[in-house]
Amino acid sequence: MRSTLRKDLIELFSQAGNEFISGQKISDALGCSRTAVWKHIEELRKEGYEVEAVRRKGYRLIKKPGKLSESEIRFGLKTEVMGQHLIYHDVLSSTQKTAHELANNNAPEGTLVVADKQTAGRGRMSRVWHSQEGNGVWMSLILRPDIPLQKTPQLTLLAAVAVVQGIEEAAGIQTDIKWPNDILINGKKTVGILTEMQAEEDRVRSVIIGIGINVNQQPNDFPDELKDIATSLSQAAGEKIDRAGVIQHILLCFEKRYRDYMTHGFTPIKLLWESYALGIGTNMRARTLNGTFYGKALGIDDEGVLLLETNEGIKKIYSADIELG
Amino acid sequence: MLNIKEIHELIKAIDESTIDEFVYENEGVSLKLKKHEAGTVQVMQQAPAAPVQAQAPQAVQPQAQQAAAPAQEAPKQDENLHKITSPMVGTFYASSSPEAGPYVTAGSKVNENTVVCIVEAMKLFNEIEAEVKGEIVEVLVENGQLVEYGQPLFLVKAE
Repeated sequence: MRSTLRKDLIELFSQAGNEFISGQKISDALGCSRTAVWKHIEELRKEGYEVEAVRRKGYRLIKKPGKLSESEIRFGLKTEVMGQHLIYHDVLSSTQKTAHELANNNAPEGTLVVADKQTAGRGRMSRVWHSQEGNGVWMSLILRPDIPLQKTPQLTLLAAVAVVQGIEEAAGIQTDIKWPNDILINGKKTVGILTEMQAEEDRVRSVIIGIGINVNQQPNDFPDELKDIATSLSQAAGEKIDRAGVIQHILLCFEKRYRDYMTHGFTPIKLLWESYALGIGTNMRARTLNGTFYGKALGIDDEGVLLLETNEGIKKIYSADIELG
Repeated sequence: MLNIKEIHELIKAIDESTIDEFVYENEGVSLKLKKHEAGTVQVMQQAPAAPVQAQAPQAVQPQAQQAAAPAQEAPKQDENLHKITSPMVGTFYASSSPEAGPYVTAGSKVNENTVVCIVEAMKLFNEIEAEVKGEIVEVLVENGQLVEYGQPLFLVKAE
């Protein structure tokens, strides 16, 4: 109950914008006493919200906290599905791990797990993802798409497109995609996306998209081995970026692109992906477990597979680390 | 037992040679390679455990692949072996990370929900479950190998 009331209260403030809302109006809308309204507003204040209270006028929200919190992510979230079931924790070992547990316990599509800090963030093949400081976005989104199993890798390209668009809308920064879904600024890694699927026979049970975004890190926040290859949105923008805004815009873009995909298939996603992709038409090196291939990237096929024109003909790349140039 | 790579090399060597028939026996494994009059290679491998999925090198396709088909069909004692197949095209990973040991090996007991491997494409990692209770008899592919849709990955003796 508590969190529902809080959610409704934030929604009210969100709709009111700069206007005052009377205590009576809030208590009517929430169906609780004015004393309870006051208590909830006190709790918001404790989270860092600045709420102005004026006699006879009511309450007005002046400032949101810079700190990430459940309320902060809900405040102004315009999606219908994505992120509406929200699980927020200040600290988690890994959002991906928590999302797995929730997915196994019937969490609905659109469930989002967010942590301010991760103590054991990970990338693919259990590689460590540096996410200990509370200055990035670490989140995992649960999907339950009714699509053929072999099509699911397309969702990783869709996620990359949604993240690029969300970052542009939230922070006005242009980012690039490196096949299949690394997101770079000036060639340095800014976002990593890890997608994991559980399936039975030919049916998808759940797809969990883990997204790690370097938002407010400054050069010295990265460990030495990452300093030359990683960057953050803040470094590109030259100012601090509101993390909740980044999450909200990405979720909204994701919801739109996911709807496009479910209605029209992969083609609209493919066109967008190619418009953001780095190195199409130029030479690149693809390191795979079966050797390294060098050639001109022709683009992706209708499944999202990278087509590389090598001396031995066109090579289809399903899994690789890509080096541009 | 010979691995697929060694068999490929043997086929290639025999294909390029004037040898008509080649028989190899070791520790209960017998491999017989025989050329037809047309000059193609026939692959027959009979192992006590299970047949290796022999993919003929391109030089002898497609006749050799057809000839290989009988070898893929399990001998009588293997009829109730369950095949775990790949649901998509991608890279086969036997373990969760390069440092970790494989999820399963021959002899591992599994149940329906045991994760046996990962198949990955475009950085989507698909955890493949056994979907049958029993014992892994053979791992048919190697770590890092690109697998096709429907390709058998494991043979399981179902309980």
